[in-house]
Amino acid sequence: MGSFEKCRFVLMLICMFFGSVPTRASASSAELNGDSDLKTPISTASNPDSLIYSPFLNLAAAFPQDLEVSDYCLDLLRVFGQRYVAYVNCLVSSARPVKVCQNCYSDYNDLVNIYNNISSDQMGSVNVSCRRSLMESDRLMLLYKLFTNLGGLWKDSLCTQCLSRDLKSLSNDTLFYLSTLNRTLQCFEKYKQGNQSELCKECKAIYKELNEVYSTMEQNSKLCIDIEDAMNVTRQSWSKMYNCSYSREETVPVIAVSSFMIFLPVIFYLSSFLHSEQKKRKLIHPKRAKSSQSFMNIQDKFS
Amino acid sequence: MANITKKVSWSGRGEDSARGETTPLLNGAAEEVRYTRQVSSGGGIFHIGRLSTVDLEEDITSEEDSARGRPREIPHNEKLLSLKYESLDYDNSENQLFLEEERRMSYVSFRCLEISRWVICGLIGFITGLIACFIDITVEKLAGVKYSVVKQNIEKFTEVGGLSISLILWAVLNSAFVMLGSLIVAFFEPVAAGSGIPQIKCYLNGVKIPRVVRLKTLVVKVCGVICSVAGGLAVGKEGPMIHSGAVVAAGVSQGRSTSLKRDFKIFEYFRRDTEKRDFVSAGAAAGVSAAFGAPVGGVLFSLEEGASFWNQMLTWRIFFASMISTFTLNFFLSIYHGKTGELSNPGLINFGRFVGDSVTYNLYEIPLFIIMGAIGGLLGALFNFLNYWLTILRIRYIHKPCLQVMEAMLVAAVTAAVSFAMIYFSNDCQPLGEENSEAYPLQLFCADGEYNSMATAFFNTPERSVRSLFHNPAGSYNPLTLGMFTLTYFFLACWTYGLTVSAGVFIPSLLIGAAWGRLFGILLPYITTNSTIWADPGKYALMGAAAQLGGIVRMTLSLTVIMMEATGNVTYGLPIMLVLMTAKIVGDYFVEGLYDIHIKLQSVPFLHWEAPATSHWLTAREVMSSPVTCFNRVERVGTIVDVLSNTSTNHNGFPVVTEMAASDEPGKICGLILRSQLIVLLKHKVFVERAHSRLSQRKLQLKDFRDAYPRFPPIQSIHVSQDERECMMDLTEFMNPTPYTVPQETSLPRVFKLFRALGLRHLVVVDSENKVVGLVTRKDLARYHLGKHGLEELHLAQT
Repeated sequence: MGSFEKCRFVLMLICMFFGSVPTRASASSAELNGDSDLKTPISTASNPDSLIYSPFLNLAAAFPQDLEVSDYCLDLLRVFGQRYVAYVNCLVSSARPVKVCQNCYSDYNDLVNIYNNISSDQMGSVNVSCRRSLMESDRLMLLYKLFTNLGGLWKDSLCTQCLSRDLKSLSNDTLFYLSTLNRTLQCFEKYKQGNQSELCKECKAIYKELNEVYSTMEQNSKLCIDIEDAMNVTRQSWSKMYNCSYSREETVPVIAVSSFMIFLPVIFYLSSFLHSEQKKRKLIHPKRAKSSQSFMNIQDKFS
Repeated sequence: MANITKKVSWSGRGEDSARGETTPLLNGAAEEVRYTRQVSSGGGIFHIGRLSTVDLEEDITSEEDSARGRPREIPHNEKLLSLKYESLDYDNSENQLFLEEERRMSYVSFRCLEISRWVICGLIGFITGLIACFIDITVEKLAGVKYSVVKQNIEKFTEVGGLSISLILWAVLNSAFVMLGSLIVAFFEPVAAGSGIPQIKCYLNGVKIPRVVRLKTLVVKVCGVICSVAGGLAVGKEGPMIHSGAVVAAGVSQGRSTSLKRDFKIFEYFRRDTEKRDFVSAGAAAGVSAAFGAPVGGVLFSLEEGASFWNQMLTWRIFFASMISTFTLNFFLSIYHGKTGELSNPGLINFGRFVGDSVTYNLYEIPLFIIMGAIGGLLGALFNFLNYWLTILRIRYIHKPCLQVMEAMLVAAVTAAVSFAMIYFSNDCQPLGEENSEAYPLQLFCADGEYNSMATAFFNTPERSVRSLFHNPAGSYNPLTLGMFTLTYFFLACWTYGLTVSAGVFIPSLLIGAAWGRLFGILLPYITTNSTIWADPGKYALMGAAAQLGGIVRMTLSLTVIMMEATGNVTYGLPIMLVLMTAKIVGDYFVEGLYDIHIKLQSVPFLHWEAPATSHWLTAREVMSSPVTCFNRVERVGTIVDVLSNTSTNHNGFPVVTEMAASDEPGKICGLILRSQLIVLLKHKVFVERAHSRLSQRKLQLKDFRDAYPRFPPIQSIHVSQDERECMMDLTEFMNPTPYTVPQETSLPRVFKLFRALGLRHLVVVDSENKVVGLVTRKDLARYHLGKHGLEELHLAQT
């Protein structure tokens, strides 16, 4: 629940941000990394929060300082906002069951691209680096914080481990895992209605295969949150829903062996108590002064 | 029992006597000994209350006859003093040789000495750190192999059935490791058994435990501890670290190894007990520091255990050694973990950091901590009591090495069996943590993706278990799991301590305490209405661990600091101190600390901090041994050889007196000479006659005495011809001309204080005319102790 609220908050921030940007004729977005398919942000008008702040923000927009932000930078900023929203949107919609890596990696790549554009020190048309004007001119450092926030999420989700090396597609391992998972789930689906022990028997092979794929991926550290979560859910349904885990069946042999072992020391101690020769110590008597003088002395003291 | 000490420590082969066999030499001697004291039948304790002393004197004649001729034998008990142990010569003999050497030394060479002291301390720290690192890595590797083999086996058999085979595999692996560890200890170096802390405590107290600081002991100790920890016993590797540090110190400071017969011709000045003791305390500190990552704790440990001899410069040097040791360990572990240069990985046991809001404590929790301290004291007392009886049983009946090895193997097998049964029947399943804090998670019958919570406690090296008890988030353990774990581990640990394996008791105590402490923390919300304030059971685990450890070993200051440093949290200082205080007070009400019990059971003449209370009425006259064997200033060689060879009175220090008039009349004291010095003199044939005949003969130097240290040859190995027996020996130059003396009326506490403060070995008792009437040694003082029935006296026995 907490993460959802966070997302809402982020959205709100974005809306505020966009409110503050005076609308201008935008520079051609084609120069931005050759990437023209900008997604439209979710409509700001539909969010009532932004309306409350808009008069104030409009006031701020009237300052003459906005001259120092070049048009080019503002365009970058706008694109950043759009992509940010797109990514967050994707994250939220694939929160449960977790599919954040599979669904949103392209959005994230876009976001990283634009952020890199902004933060790379390249000059805009008017010799002012966008990095200076957009990121380093106030203490809030909004762009930076927004980005690191999502970057942290990305890092925690370990998505890079599921993607191919250039991060443009899912890795082969992941695809293989997903297909195995699908087969497993299909199997579950097929036998769900009938006797559960039948399910356990029939789906065991594919479930085991899935586990093996998972553990090899784990060893090669190819896991990301999507796969972990899918595995967790599958395991839970396997063990809890269909009750296919092992049961305790060998109680008697285990008890027998353990009690035999516990019995051994009893024999050991008894036998060594009975048969071993008890260790005796020879007492030695030291030489002491036994003069009558000292004896008298003690008596004197206490009489 | 003044001078009756045994030849063990300087005879090259003392193995047989150390094993507790009787030496034939003393056998006959014991029969000659005259029985001057009555032995009370019940428990064999002398009552030297006021009346009983008087009774005692009256009974002498009748008792003497009946007792003569048959040495009394009693089963081993705690009220004995062994003849095996001698004192160390801490007191410097300021004879003429010494003065000469001091005159010859320049200012520069004194500076050099000081610098070499620092160098040695640095070396001690470095080598101790290396050893700690070696132990740590080897244990981790071996245990890793063992647990992964067993884990694979268990996983296999969970599926197809036949888990009892896994159980047997586990037990066999455990036993195999432990057998190896126990074999080397039982057959090669029995003194390496146990944690070694009692032995080092004795050494710092001034008792020479035979072979305790030899290289062989170190090797056996290190290998033994690796085997026993990897063998899954309920033991830790921290105590042995302290012993190892001490051995390293004793070895390095001498600049040679007698075992390897290598002499590096360095540090020759430090070849005497006084200097060696200082370095040994540095070594012990370095050991503690490496074990817990607690340099200050290490210094305080040395202070607490060897406090009678102390100075500020030494403290500073010891601190240096401790720091170097922690640093070395950190550095090499950082290389091992692939983070070279990262120095924040202190100690063998790393309690982990307690950080964050959840671990703060509040005023209302202080009473709870005190209650936990009391529980720790009670459980500790129970532990010690059980272990006491177990140890007596072991000493009396399980004294053959092969039996000892068997016992250790059985304990290992049973530990595995019990652990397995606990894991098997546990229903406590927990989801696997995201950061995978469990090294070897066992699933068994849990749902997939979950692990058996009992297995984190049992199926792990004890140190990891401690850490997970401290740091695993709330809800990782069921109360039932913790309860069962505490119960079983308590008895296992109690049973394990005192086996013939080298292993410490620190970690098991911490583990027991952490388990019940965590249980305490979990149960708190059930008792009170407001359940939110008892958020984190981890801190209760820490307090429980402190309480349990304090209840068992009864250390105070150093333990507080060690715990504080090991957790890296100074704010826990107050609660830990309170917990340890309570634990000590409660525990002391019932029974002594574990180390003290074991020292007693070893029959070591240990001098405590203070003389026993109510002993002021005892004077030196009653305490001392008398008559004393004295030498004249110029003594016939034959006499000296005879006295030294006399096995019934194996004296170690001889007052040197001016010419005796009659044979019975004692002479005036003019010095004190040690057996070791006499032996060196005899070996070099420093006779008056020879000095006249051969003027060119090299003058004996202090170096000759040092070269023979610490293993002086036995008198039997020195050949003295019939002619030479008639020669004379002038002792003036070699004796200590100013030995400490006391008048006969000095009270026992006063004598005691002299001994403790100066580290004396012999204290001559003189009369008003400065004539020697008796000699007080360590064993004369150590035999008095305060029992339930007032002042009691310990027997001297041959062990």
